Amino acid sequence: MSKDISLGIVVRTIIAVACALTILFPVIWMVSMMFKPADVMFARPTEFFFTPTLANFSYVIDNGFLLNLGTSLLLGIFSTVLVVLIGTPAAYAFARFEMKGKDDLFLFILASRMAPPVCLVIPFYLIYAQVGLLDTFLGLSLAYMTFNLSFYVWVLRSFCRDLPVELEEAAILEGWSKPQVFRRVVFPLLRNGIVATSVLCFIFAWNEFLFAFMLGGNSVQTLPVAIPKLITAQGVRWGEVAVVGVASLVPVLAVVVLLQRHIVRGLTMGAVKG
Amino acid sequence: MTMTIARDAAVSRKRTSWYPYMLIAPTMITLCIVSLVPFIYAVYLSFHEAKYGRVTDFIWFDNYVKLLANGDFWNSMHVAGIFVAIAVPIEFMLGMAGALILNKGVMGRSILVPLLFIPTMMAPIVVGLLWKIMLAGSWGVISYNVIERFNILTGTSIFASEAYALYALIFIDIWQWTPFMMLAFFAGLQALPQGPYRAASVDGAGPVQIFFRLTLPLMAPLLFVIGLLRFIDAFKIFDTIFILTRGGPGTVTESPSLLAYKMTFDFWNIGEASALAVFVWIVFFVFCSVFYQIAKKKLNAF
Repeated sequence: MSKDISLGIVVRTIIAVACALTILFPVIWMVSMMFKPADVMFARPTEFFFTPTLANFSYVIDNGFLLNLGTSLLLGIFSTVLVVLIGTPAAYAFARFEMKGKDDLFLFILASRMAPPVCLVIPFYLIYAQVGLLDTFLGLSLAYMTFNLSFYVWVLRSFCRDLPVELEEAAILEGWSKPQVFRRVVFPLLRNGIVATSVLCFIFAWNEFLFAFMLGGNSVQTLPVAIPKLITAQGVRWGEVAVVGVASLVPVLAVVVLLQRHIVRGLTMGAVKG
Repeated sequence: MTMTIARDAAVSRKRTSWYPYMLIAPTMITLCIVSLVPFIYAVYLSFHEAKYGRVTDFIWFDNYVKLLANGDFWNSMHVAGIFVAIAVPIEFMLGMAGALILNKGVMGRSILVPLLFIPTMMAPIVVGLLWKIMLAGSWGVISYNVIERFNILTGTSIFASEAYALYALIFIDIWQWTPFMMLAFFAGLQALPQGPYRAASVDGAGPVQIFFRLTLPLMAPLLFVIGLLRFIDAFKIFDTIFILTRGGPGTVTESPSLLAYKMTFDFWNIGEASALAVFVWIVFFVFCSVFYQIAKKKLNAF
């Protein structure tokens, strides 16, 4: 065992840990700022050690950020559930069946994913203003479909293609109908892929700013949109910004720990199997 | 062999069925509503005189002509060009270096790898605020302790400096995306076949030779796809710039997304903004087709 630990691996480990700490320093600093009293927040010279306080948390709670947190959570879940319901059959169909113009349809899906959000938000805003969808859950969920539905179908298709086709064929020979095959054979096998892909969709919705900022309002205000509220006339409440920032990181951290293998696959649109 | 025959038979049996179309119908209808309709509406607006929320005369390509004569438009393309040309290659090189180190073997890799995802998975708006805390003005942690102490830039915030603001944003992009590149390349390295490497070491090839003659060519399609995705993402960057500089000072950091936003919501010049949106959209569509063709042919991934 001890033979395995060479000088090389020690050097590489030291380099890697040093790099990781450098990269993560701003995040670690933000975590420390949550507990920092306002008077030493930006003291010069910088105060690295201080008596921790919970004052920042109470301001955040008193100013309704829990509502924003709830809105973000609800919108993320609602829009993701819609995506899963609509997108799962399509991902399966694209992976399994021959269709006329399949390539063109698939390119259309990819293009929806790639379109710059700012291009979409202009027509969305004008259309929503006319049909009364501004500042509604449904409106934002629909807008999130532009990137999430296309993303979901694209990535889940790559999961579908990993499934062995023999099981489905056997089930067909047993005399099951195609919807039965989908429900009882494909869906259970695909569960991991569905969970991984939909959780990434949730994160994209959770992190999204531009649509939420332009198409939301007072009744549907997500966490990223609420953060600028902390920039008050008396200056920016940085401790509170840190609290909200870290709060927005919590689901991200959970995903990172639970789904690491699938994140690369998702973010490269399935190009890397991970 | 038998497996592929079975699959082909299964596929051909279902070829004429309406079943797959039924499965994709909900997705296609939804995407038409949320993606095609806004696009057509944007095209419609771009052919009209539309200012301050009122759509009036049909004016053919006037908005496009105005756009192409607009200095701000070319400036935004220039900003995006510099951004991508600096950020993406650096992310590639650092990412590859990190991936090689990870691949060679590092203790505690299973702890390190998830941590490296954090910058990429964070909300861009939080990334922006984080770096404001780090770099802004004389109170930022890094700006006070490093930038001012070593007299690199004093008396002003880096985000308000005409010379450095864009580079600060590029630096933040590199911070956000290099760890991800590392992990994507690492996953690619892990998937490489072992055979050619054994042959190369039998032939007595050195590590540098192996990297350039073997690893790079084997990974080329993957590098290309990731590069194109990163290029597309970097080109449409909005959130971090919006929260940090709003395109300023002046128009130094005004990316195409920022320009379209300002044209629409600051100046209510919707016709020209739509023309810009349609233009960018078409450029993206071309990139997407290239991406799709290459990913399909070279990677067999899709």
